[in-house]
Amino acid sequence: MAVMLAIEARDVVKTFRAGWIRRRDTPALRGVSLDIPRGVIFGLLGPNGAGKTTLLSIMATLLRPDAGWVRVLGHDVMSDPTPLRRRLNMASGNASFLWSLRVGEILAFYGRLYGLHGARLRRQVESLIELCELGSHRRVPYNELSTGLKQRLALAKALLNDPELLFLDEPTLGLDPDISVRMRRHVADLRRQRGMTIVLTTHYMREAEELADEIAFIKGGRILARGTGDELKRQLGFGDVIALRLDPLGSRALVAEAEGVMRVAEVDGWIECTVDTAEKRLPQLLHRLHTEGAVVRDVQVREPDLEEVFVELAK
Amino acid sequence: MSWRSEPRWQGEVVATWAFALRSLLMASRNVFFLFELLFWPVVGVLSIGLMTRFLRLDSAEASFVLIGTMALSTVQVCQLDVSYAVLFDVWSKSMKHQFLAPIGVRHITIGAWLVGIARGVLVFAVLAALARWSFGFDVFRAGPLPLLAFLAGCFLTAYVVGVLVCALIMLFGTRAETSAWATVNLILVLAGIYYPLSVLPRAVAEVGAMIPLTYFLDAYRAHYGFAGEFPAPIARGFVLAAVYVAASHWALAAAIRRTRQSGLLLKMSE
Repeated sequence: MAVMLAIEARDVVKTFRAGWIRRRDTPALRGVSLDIPRGVIFGLLGPNGAGKTTLLSIMATLLRPDAGWVRVLGHDVMSDPTPLRRRLNMASGNASFLWSLRVGEILAFYGRLYGLHGARLRRQVESLIELCELGSHRRVPYNELSTGLKQRLALAKALLNDPELLFLDEPTLGLDPDISVRMRRHVADLRRQRGMTIVLTTHYMREAEELADEIAFIKGGRILARGTGDELKRQLGFGDVIALRLDPLGSRALVAEAEGVMRVAEVDGWIECTVDTAEKRLPQLLHRLHTEGAVVRDVQVREPDLEEVFVELAK
Repeated sequence: MSWRSEPRWQGEVVATWAFALRSLLMASRNVFFLFELLFWPVVGVLSIGLMTRFLRLDSAEASFVLIGTMALSTVQVCQLDVSYAVLFDVWSKSMKHQFLAPIGVRHITIGAWLVGIARGVLVFAVLAALARWSFGFDVFRAGPLPLLAFLAGCFLTAYVVGVLVCALIMLFGTRAETSAWATVNLILVLAGIYYPLSVLPRAVAEVGAMIPLTYFLDAYRAHYGFAGEFPAPIARGFVLAAVYVAASHWALAAAIRRTRQSGLLLKMSE
C-alpha cells in the first residue's frame, strides 16, 4: 500500500542574495529532495546555517524556492498556498508577537485570521491556554513574559487552527531543562492524541532521538542522510561502542590497533572504541589487552548515541 | 459544520475585523497615539488660521487654506493607521505569523483603514470645532453630501498612500519606515493643499492632477466661493481613487511575493 505523504520536495534550491552593487549570493539549499509520511514526527537536524529553517520556511509557504517543487498535504506551495495555510501552522523557538498585546488577545487575533469567531474562538483560546498552562498569564502583555512562557504561547498560537501539519523550529531553544521536558511531552501528546504530522528542527540530539520517528541530517543545503536513529547509525557504519577503564591508561594505542576498531576516543578516563559488532570484537580485544599486560578495570558496551552520528556528519 | 467550511464572506469579515481590533487595541495602549491624533492637527489648524488673520485674507481665501490643512491632517492620521498595519509587525518582529495564515492583503489594509477612518473622523470633528470657534469657518456650510464626498476623498487618498507605504516597507524593511511619515508631504506639495494647482509649474501641476485628493478639495472648495478648476471633480476623484486602490493593492501583493522570494519576510521576523 502506498504511503500517504504529508510532504514531497524535489530538487529544492534556494539562494539568498544581498547587496545592490556588490552582490553576495549565499546558497541555502542545493537540491533538497525529501518525502515525509503523514502522521509522523520528522526531525531535521543540522549545524547552524545548514538550511533547516530555510527548508521549513519553504514547506510552510513563508519562502519561495528558486527551483524545484514542494507539495504539502497535496498542495503546491507556490501555486496553491492559501488553502494549504488553513491546514498547517508553525511555532518557532524565537517567535515574537506584538509587545503590548496580552496573551489572550494575541491568541484571539491569530484565531480570527483562521476564521474563528464568537463562542468557538473563545473556546479554542481557552482550551489552548489550558493546554499550554498559560492560565495565570492570560492578561500579561507579551513583553513581560519569560522565555518559556513565550515559547508556550508560540505553541498555543500554532495550534489555533487544529493543523494537520505542524512545523516546530527549535521549539525548546533557550528553555530550562524542566520546561524543555514539558514542551517535548506536549509535542509527543499532539501526535498521539491528534494524529498530527510534525516536522521539527532542533540542535538537541536528545530531543530528536526522543521525539522523532525519522530524522534527516542536513548540512550545507544538502540532505546527507535520513532514517530512524538506528538506521542512521548503521548507514554511517556506527557499530557498537566498547568503553574500557584500563591500567595503565596509555594502553590506548593497543586498543586502536586491534582488529575491527574504527574509532577511539578518551572520555573521562574511559577509552571508548567504536567497533563493527561488540559481540565479535569484545573477546578479541580483551584477549589482546590481557596478552599485552594491560589491566582492564571495567568494561561497558553501548550503542552510539545520535550526538556521535551528528558530530560525524557535521565534520 | 467545521469552521473551515463556514461561508466565505464570514471568514472575510472576521479576518478584517481581526486587524481592525488589533489596531484599536494598539492605539488604546499608546499615549503617543493620542498626541499624534490631536497635537499636530490642532497646531496645524491654529497656526494656519492665525496666519490667515495676519495676512488679512478674505473669508474665501481663509476657507481655502483651512480646508487644505484639515484635509492634510485627516489624510495623515488615517494613512498612518494603514501603515501601522505592517509597521507594528516590523517593530515587534512578528511579521511571519500573519503571512502564515490564510489571509490576503485586503484583510490587513481594510481592517487598519477602518480604524483610520474612525480616527480621521474624530480628528476632522475636533478640527472643525476648533476652526468654527477660532476662525468662524463652518464645515457644514457646503451641506452634508459634499462634506461626505470630501471626507470619502480624504480617506481613499489615505488608503492609497498607506498601502503604498506598506509596500515600500515590505520591499525595503525598516529602512523604509520613515516613508510612513514623509509620503504624505508629497501630497502637501502636489495636491493643492495651500494653493490652487494653477500656481504650480505646468509639469508639476499635471502630476498634482493625478492625485484623487486634488479633485475632492476642488469640489469642496467650490462651496466656499472658489471657482472649480476641473469639470466633474467628484466623479474624476472617485475614478482615479478606484484605479489607485487597485494599483496599490497589486503593488503590495507584489511586494509581499518579492519578500517571500528574497527572505526579507523571515529577516523581519527575527
